[in-house]
This record gives sequence, C-alpha cells and structure tokens, in this order.
Amino acid sequence: MLEFRHVNVSCGRTPILNDISVIFNKGEITTIVGPNGCGKTTLLQCLNGSSKVTSGWILLDKIPFLDLPPKKRALKLSFLPQIRTIIPSLPVRTLVEHGRFPHLGFSRQKSIQDREIVENVMRFTHVEEYADQFTDTLSGGIRQRVFFAMVLAQNCEYIVLDEPTTYLDLAGQQEFLEMFLQLKEEGRTIILVLHDLAQAMEISDRIVVMNRRQIAAVGTPKECLEQGWLEEVFRVQVKKFMDGEEAYYFFKGK
Amino acid sequence: MMYKNYPKTIIIFFLVLLLILCLLAGILLGSVPLNPFDVFRVLTRQETTSTTYILITTVRLPRVLAGALAGMGLAAAGVILQGVMNNALASPNTIGVNSGAGFAVMLALLFTDNYHLYLPIAAFAGALLTTITIFALAYAADSSRTTIILAGITVSSFLNAGINTIKLLDSDITINLTSFMMGSLSGLTLNKLAIPSIAILLALIVVLFFTKPLNLLGLGDDIARSLGLRVSVVRLCLLVLSSILSGCVVSFAGLLSFIGLIVPHICRQLFGNDARFLLPCSALLGASFVLICDLLGRIIFAPFELPAGILTAFIGGPFFLYLLLKKKGGRRIHA
Repeated sequence: MLEFRHVNVSCGRTPILNDISVIFNKGEITTIVGPNGCGKTTLLQCLNGSSKVTSGWILLDKIPFLDLPPKKRALKLSFLPQIRTIIPSLPVRTLVEHGRFPHLGFSRQKSIQDREIVENVMRFTHVEEYADQFTDTLSGGIRQRVFFAMVLAQNCEYIVLDEPTTYLDLAGQQEFLEMFLQLKEEGRTIILVLHDLAQAMEISDRIVVMNRRQIAAVGTPKECLEQGWLEEVFRVQVKKFMDGEEAYYFFKGK
Repeated sequence: MMYKNYPKTIIIFFLVLLLILCLLAGILLGSVPLNPFDVFRVLTRQETTSTTYILITTVRLPRVLAGALAGMGLAAAGVILQGVMNNALASPNTIGVNSGAGFAVMLALLFTDNYHLYLPIAAFAGALLTTITIFALAYAADSSRTTIILAGITVSSFLNAGINTIKLLDSDITINLTSFMMGSLSGLTLNKLAIPSIAILLALIVVLFFTKPLNLLGLGDDIARSLGLRVSVVRLCLLVLSSILSGCVVSFAGLLSFIGLIVPHICRQLFGNDARFLLPCSALLGASFVLICDLLGRIIFAPFELPAGILTAFIGGPFFLYLLLKKKGGRRIHA
C-alpha cells in the first residue's frame, strides 16, 4: 500500500500540491486523471525526488518512503517519468539493462539472474527483435516499450507510469493496457496517469480525480460515473452505450 | 559504426598497442632520430652517461609521458563533462574550464615560488571554480544546452583576457605565452610532472568506478533518480574529477584545445556511447593523438618546433568537420 498523507509541495511560495492524502491499494491498478496542470505529474515526481515534498509523508507499506536511501527506493518502486527530452543513443539491450542498476552490488557486475530478467522483460514487452538496435533509431511506439522494459527490469512490486500511452497509436495503446492487466495478474501494483478517460475506466480498479492541485475524488470507475465527478472536473458529458454485457463510454464536450 | 561489434578486449588491446607505438615513436624520432638499440640500453639502465641518455631522460621521456597524460586527462574530462551536462558540445575547452585553470596558473606564477606543488593545485581550483560557475549559470538560466556553451565561451574569453593581462603586466613570469595559450609539451622535466601525473592517474582510476552512473545520467536526471542514483552527489563527484583531470593537464601543458571535444566524439562514432567502454577508449586514443600531434610538430619544420596545440587544431579541426559532415543523415551526435 502506497499512502500520501497530507503531502504539500511548493516552489518558493507558489503551492503546487495542496494537502494531498490518498491511498493506492496493493495489487490494484489505480489511475490518476485530471485536467492539464492539476499536479498529476508533480504528485508522481515526489516519488523519485524530482519534486521536493515540503511537508507531509509518503508511506510505502507503512514505512516512510522518502527516508529510504535512493537505491532501496528503486528496489521497491519503479517510476517512468513522462516525456523524455533526452533520447539516448544506446543499444536497446544496454538501455534495458540500466533497469538492473539498483540491484547491482559495488562491482556493478551483472549476474546470470540479471541477464535472465532483462531477456524476460524484453520478451514481455515485445522488443526482443530490436535488442541490438540503437534507441534513437526506433519509432516512438517501440521506444516507449523499450523504456517500459527498462522499468520492468527493475522488477519492483510497485510500478508507476506517467502518461505511458500518450504518444502511441491505438494498437500501441491497447498493447500497453494488456500488459498492465497481465502485470496486475502477477500481483503487481500499478499507478498510472492517463489522459484517455475511456481507457482509465476500462482498466482501473480505482480512479483518483485531481483538480486544481488537490484530490477532487477517489473511487471505482463506477462510482466516478455515478457521482458525476468527471463531468464536473473535465466539464464534459458522459454517454454510456451497452453492447451486450460490455459498456462503452463516450466523453463529449458540454 | 563498424567497430562497435568487435570484442571489447580486442579493441582495447589495439588501442594500448597504438599508445605504446606512439610512446616509442615519440622517444625515437624527433629533430635528432635515435638508434633503437641505444634507447633500449638507456631504458634498461645499461647506459647512464652518454648524450643519448641525457636527451632521453631530460627531454624525450618527460615529453612523451606529458603528452600521454595530457591526452588521457583531457579526453576523459571531455567524456565526463559531456555526460554530466548531457551536452554533446561540452569539453574542458568549450565550457571555459581550461581557461579557468590557465588563469589560476598565471595567478599562482605571480604569487608563489614552489611551482611544482602549487601550479597543479591552483589549476585544479581554477578548473573546479569555473566548472561550477558555468554549471550554476546554466542551471539558473534553465540549463539549455546552448546556454552552457554560450556561458562557456563568455567565461573563456573573459579569463583569457585575464591571462593576457597578467602576462603583460608582469613580464618576469617564466612562461611563453604563445605556447601556453596553444598548449605545448616542450621544456618539461620529470620533477614538474610528478604531482600532476599522480593526480591524473588516480583520478582516472576513480572515474572508472563512475562509468555506470555516468551512463544513467545520460538518460536524463528524472530517470536516473528513478533508478536510485543520487544524481546531485554523483554529478558533483564527476565535476570534481573532471576538474582534477583538466586542471592538472593545464598546469604542465597549457591550454591544449580540441582533444576533450573531438577524441570522445571519434570514440562515440567508433565504439558507441556506453561510458564503461567509451571512457577507457577515449583516454587511450587521446593519449596517442596528442603524442602523434607533438611528434609531427617536432619533425615537420625541424629544427623549429610547433607547439603540440597547433597540430591538434590543424589535424583535429578538419577531421572533426569531416566526421560532422559524414554523419549527416546518419545517427546524430549525442552525449
């Protein structure tokens, strides 16, 4: 269980996050949604120290997470930040191997187990065939899978991804959603930021709605819709269509 | 490109071989070519009186050692700075670190007598101060890649003006300004090299433990942090190490330009961007490159001598342009 308890983040006197208290349950997929600039990314950045928590606590399985040394943190929780301004020029396998960094000892030598994990995650994310290609020669969709493979190579119980599907085509997005569900089956805890509300409804166990630097609401996708939280925050209309057992949602500007 | 897939041990072996050949050539050749058998007898201490002995121990040996150390130090410092600043254009020269070290050396020459000890220390301090200044400036101005280089150029010309002023005001300073500004390996003694060489070798060994973190910094700060790297601590350590390397080189060889920029880039092209491999390769190739340039400078117009720095610019400049043009359409340069 990952818990934010009264977390505040401010830059100088400007508040960026305001008294965030929220719990992410173990073994579930939780998706954070909210309009641009509501603080979703900052909230996640608290987890790797890119954003400094000014007050409050982050607890991972009841332990103050930020008091752990960075490497210990990286063993428990892996986090893939949002947009990459830097595209390294490395063979795919080398990049994925970087995910093993927190596991390496002082000599930084990779064990057979490290290598196996790297091959496994490359198979899982379907990037094996690119293993020897350079990351800056790949298309955006494959590159995103490669970075995802790197994060999986960390082999953490908690996986946090900031807008993992934003720049992907529909097929690419669908592949990612399926991988998330598979990881959940394995018992991992997944925390996402997504902009596609329909996708969020489809795969999440719980939705965290953020608005204006605060948590606006937390609940199951069903509660979200019934209570009209999304309609309020995003100023949209939600339309539901039933096709046999399956429900489809459409979001339409008011 | 083509050599990336060769076994690493073979590449390293050839680079070491090249360096040994360059060292031998640097000792054997020059305005007065020496007989290899005499040189062998001198190096194995069978002969300790002849002019060959004196020539080797007081001129050629210090010179080739200085060349190798300068090349290693500057090339390694270039790899570090490019990685730490995530900027393909960073190098001890382009961001003004060399000028900072040079300025500190001039100040030290003004105020002290114990050159052997204080010059390297002053140069290191000057290099570190400049590095941190540039880094802070770039960070304050939102650390765009161009900003770092612009700040470097500005600081560099400012400090070069300072160097020139000191030399003009105090003509007693025992330094040849042209050679110092271009970078030169002449007139060195083993005594003068002792402290800088120990510092450079130690720093190179320590840097080898930082190559994996250097790779992670190349992914961007946020990803490096997520992978559990103490980004600020590692970055500071690396900046200190690169300052030791480039500062110590400046203390005996002056402002040798270009090596910290082009050697790492040539190696990136040939051997890839993985710092664990790039760093030793750059150090080895940098050493050979300086030795070749120095040797050419000694023999082309013998008995006149061109400072090594002139040759590095003459050979390095066009070759680097060739690389840049050839790569158009290929993989772009990336730190």
